[in-house]
Amino acid sequence: MSIKVNVGDVSFKNPIILASGTCGFGRELAEYMDLSKLGALSSKGLTLLPRDGNQGVRVAETPSGMLNCVGLQNPGVDAFLATELDYMFQSGAGVVVNVAGHSNEDYIAMVEKLDPFKDKIDALELNFSCPNVKEGCMVIGSSPKAIEALVSDLRKRTDLPMWVKLTPNVTSISETAKGAEAGGADAIVAINTMLGMAIDIKTRRPLLHNNTGGLSGPCVKPVALRMVHDIYEAVKIPVVGCGGISTMEDVLEFMIAGASAVELGTITLVHPTRPVEIVEQLEIYCKENNIEELSSLTGTLQMWR
Amino acid sequence: MKKEYTISLVKKDILGPACAVLTFSCPEIAKNGRPGQFVNLSCDYFLKRPFGIMCVDKEKNTFSIGVRKVGKGTEKIIEAQEGQTFTCLGPLGNGFCFDGVKKLLLVGGGTGIFPIYFAASYAKENGIPCKVVNGYRSQSDAFLYDRFSCICDDFSVTTDAGDLGIKGNVMAYLETMSDEELSESTVMVVGPGIMMRKVSEWAINKGLSCYVSLEQRMACGIGACLVCICKIKAEQEGKEFVHKRCCKDGPVFKAEEVIW
Repeated sequence: MSIKVNVGDVSFKNPIILASGTCGFGRELAEYMDLSKLGALSSKGLTLLPRDGNQGVRVAETPSGMLNCVGLQNPGVDAFLATELDYMFQSGAGVVVNVAGHSNEDYIAMVEKLDPFKDKIDALELNFSCPNVKEGCMVIGSSPKAIEALVSDLRKRTDLPMWVKLTPNVTSISETAKGAEAGGADAIVAINTMLGMAIDIKTRRPLLHNNTGGLSGPCVKPVALRMVHDIYEAVKIPVVGCGGISTMEDVLEFMIAGASAVELGTITLVHPTRPVEIVEQLEIYCKENNIEELSSLTGTLQMWR
Repeated sequence: MKKEYTISLVKKDILGPACAVLTFSCPEIAKNGRPGQFVNLSCDYFLKRPFGIMCVDKEKNTFSIGVRKVGKGTEKIIEAQEGQTFTCLGPLGNGFCFDGVKKLLLVGGGTGIFPIYFAASYAKENGIPCKVVNGYRSQSDAFLYDRFSCICDDFSVTTDAGDLGIKGNVMAYLETMSDEELSESTVMVVGPGIMMRKVSEWAINKGLSCYVSLEQRMACGIGACLVCICKIKAEQEGKEFVHKRCCKDGPVFKAEEVIW
């Protein structure tokens, strides 16, 4: 009986990964859980230079979820390498490093800085999907051709596994996934947040001071699940499912839809111990249902005709 | 390892039409909660809601918070019946530091009076001379008036309506205080942003050390999500400010560090 999973050539002790931007570099959540019990942690989205992020109100609650417009507040890739990477590595969880650029050159520079640390990094997560910054990210991630071109350029610069985290704010996520695959990505992570808005009817102003923000939480789960399945059908590389996953049953749904592993994000902000509880529940589930390998569930969805 | 507690509402004291003191059973928060810290409490909606701790009872293993209805979440929490359970994280954040404090001047307004009550109780228990000045809208919302009067030897109020204490806001009172009265005081202020700002400016001008407890819309409450940022003066040269997390780096900050 095993809950071990592989995402391409990378092996994780279980499919539970903490999603970028919801767990910092692990330090805060380490007070609530033994990080070594997780499959992996995905770092806060890093930029080439430190970023203060957006000003003012950054969060608005929605039915079954939330909007955020943090805007990639992070210490920058150099400070990450100096003070955070070792912490993540020593936590005992797998290490996924999320990088977000303003331009192709930013991604190139960051990948070249991270490549020498491949002994401590399990995968790079190329964030082509943050909706809260004006340049790069989602702009690149909206075009299959732009994704393909950048990923294939980055492919030449590192042999670290490259996961491409896609935005749902596109006409066809299968097409952007295919672009990533054609460029040489090792896996697709889907989805990042959905662009949304909330309005204060008294002031007639957006609640978020960035006007718009990324929607996350259980409310996006059905969309994410459908997209994971679309991507699973469209490409041969593995898919890491993400979007509103909050329970063990959600994890199973995403795996059945085609995910090799999953990322938990917003739920951790509400219930910080939930990820490790789900790990324990997955073990029990496999035992009770005589499932030899949890990974055997991946892509076992049988569609109605 | 810290936990998310499932806690039970043991007592609800209604203070007014949209305000109540709720007391919950939770030995860990009763034992570890300090003035200025907060709890993040579930409601019927998705995110938890942060509340400054108003008092703890280590013998009964309870803690209390003051809740004023400001939206749907706080409305649900106020409507809760005794016995109802909630999930809760806490105590969270950095509370007030009383090390080396010789004399306290506590200033409260709005829901800030609840954490100020905790600080006043702490001062009483630890023999720190303490004056409290609370600003209310009117006598009818002068919540905890009796309780403050009980624990404070020196308690003054101001009301916007002028029907209790001095008419005006807390500044109207503070400006009447003599330098002698103020000497060696540490000021701690919790209330609406504009009030904390005015009191901070006044205290800094008087050369008094001053702490504020900032409020921001929060999500996780534990420092992971970065949504509840406050603008704090940067130490690094050439940089005007840094975004600190209200929940984890605060909510208590030195007044002179805050960019309002």
